[in-house]
Amino acid sequence: MKKDCCIACGKSDLSKNEIGINKKLIGDEVKIFYCLNCLAEYLGVSTEDIYDKIEEFKERGCNLFD
Amino acid sequence: MIKSKNLRKEVVIFLTNMKNHIIYADHAATTALSVTARSAMSPFLEQQYGNPSTRYSLAREPRNAVVEARKTIAKLIGAKPEEIFFTSCGTESNNWAIKGTAFHYIGQHKRIITSCIEHHAVLHSCTFLKKLGFEVVCLPVDYEGLVNVQSLLKALTENTVLVAIMLANNEIGTIETIKDLSLVAHEHNVLFHTDAVQAIGHIPVNVEELGVDMLSASAHKFGGPKGVGFLYKKSGVEVEPFMSGGGQEMQQRAGTENVASIVGMAAALKESICEMNINTIHLNNLVEQFKERMKVSKLDYIYNGSENRIPGSISISFKAGDGEMLLHRLDLKGIAVSTGSACNSKYVELSHVLRAIDISADYAKGTIRITLGADNTVGDIYYIVQSLTSILKK
Repeated sequence: MKKDCCIACGKSDLSKNEIGINKKLIGDEVKIFYCLNCLAEYLGVSTEDIYDKIEEFKERGCNLFD
Repeated sequence: MIKSKNLRKEVVIFLTNMKNHIIYADHAATTALSVTARSAMSPFLEQQYGNPSTRYSLAREPRNAVVEARKTIAKLIGAKPEEIFFTSCGTESNNWAIKGTAFHYIGQHKRIITSCIEHHAVLHSCTFLKKLGFEVVCLPVDYEGLVNVQSLLKALTENTVLVAIMLANNEIGTIETIKDLSLVAHEHNVLFHTDAVQAIGHIPVNVEELGVDMLSASAHKFGGPKGVGFLYKKSGVEVEPFMSGGGQEMQQRAGTENVASIVGMAAALKESICEMNINTIHLNNLVEQFKERMKVSKLDYIYNGSENRIPGSISISFKAGDGEMLLHRLDLKGIAVSTGSACNSKYVELSHVLRAIDISADYAKGTIRITLGADNTVGDIYYIVQSLTSILKK
């Protein structure tokens, strides 16, 4: 599995925001990543919740996000 | 194992309602406005809007309300009404006490002693004074966050103008031995200020017993409104006014009084002190429940701070954890807590308090602060522990 593919569904070319939110919500040393939908499912929350978190981090100027 | 049938029922109801429920466990950051405070404020947000400094009858009620609030707060902390000065917040009170004292004695004394775990309102005020030529000494603390009396003794010189040490720490909850520290300062004829923002309304605070010359407080930490606080300044203690302008606050702090908030602050402080004993028992029980549940979680963690701490305050560090990750994952589960570390993409920056207590590197990054309030329940504790366990074991 390529590093920038979703570990659950195989979606390729994960975006910077997708990689960033995995690091924020799973851990900064995480080596495998989920796409937003699979991350939401893994964490038991809605995809909307994940989008809200990404916006929060962007507003705070975190450079893990576009 | 939940033994009580009622407790089990409480947990079931609680879990059922969880979807739209926020468990607020960050009371050291702020508290909800109490119903009592809101009711007390209401007339001054509506019909009683007169400026207390004006001379017509519309001002009478607001003016009397400010006088009564000052008397109430003074009585609650063992002070005289003329020793209470209303400010906009705890930060302003700290700034005023430190800079006002330094400016009053400018050219005479230059050393200011503080501790390395103070709130930034204190530390940054000291940094500001350092740029103006003052000498700032930051005393170290031990692993519990306690300032040693001997280290203060060694730092005091004839050139010292002020000692500023907090009553209780905002991150780890440790209560300092202010009575002993102020005694040492006074033996050297040095003024003593304490930042009591995290303490007042949560533990007994009496300025006479503490032996302090100045004390800072903020209303929103004890069920009052945001945007108001006070500085206790002992009679005879001279500091430069912080705000220039009108003659409000006995010529010491200019600016039209925030009447509604001042009234709300007095009501909230009275209520929190009246309910302090029962709240302390409740909060101590919740902390015990938390610790008992954590014991069976099989997670690797340590607690930070002293045993003598603010009721309901928990600073916990998880081995190989990530405090910021925990904060956001708990948030997604409807739990509001705080963390002692902030990170960017390159490194994790520990708070100055965690660095000062020299917390083990294996645990430091995984620190969160849980500060419980009177409205928290045993069900909340179970859910917090269950959530922490599921996140950290996943």
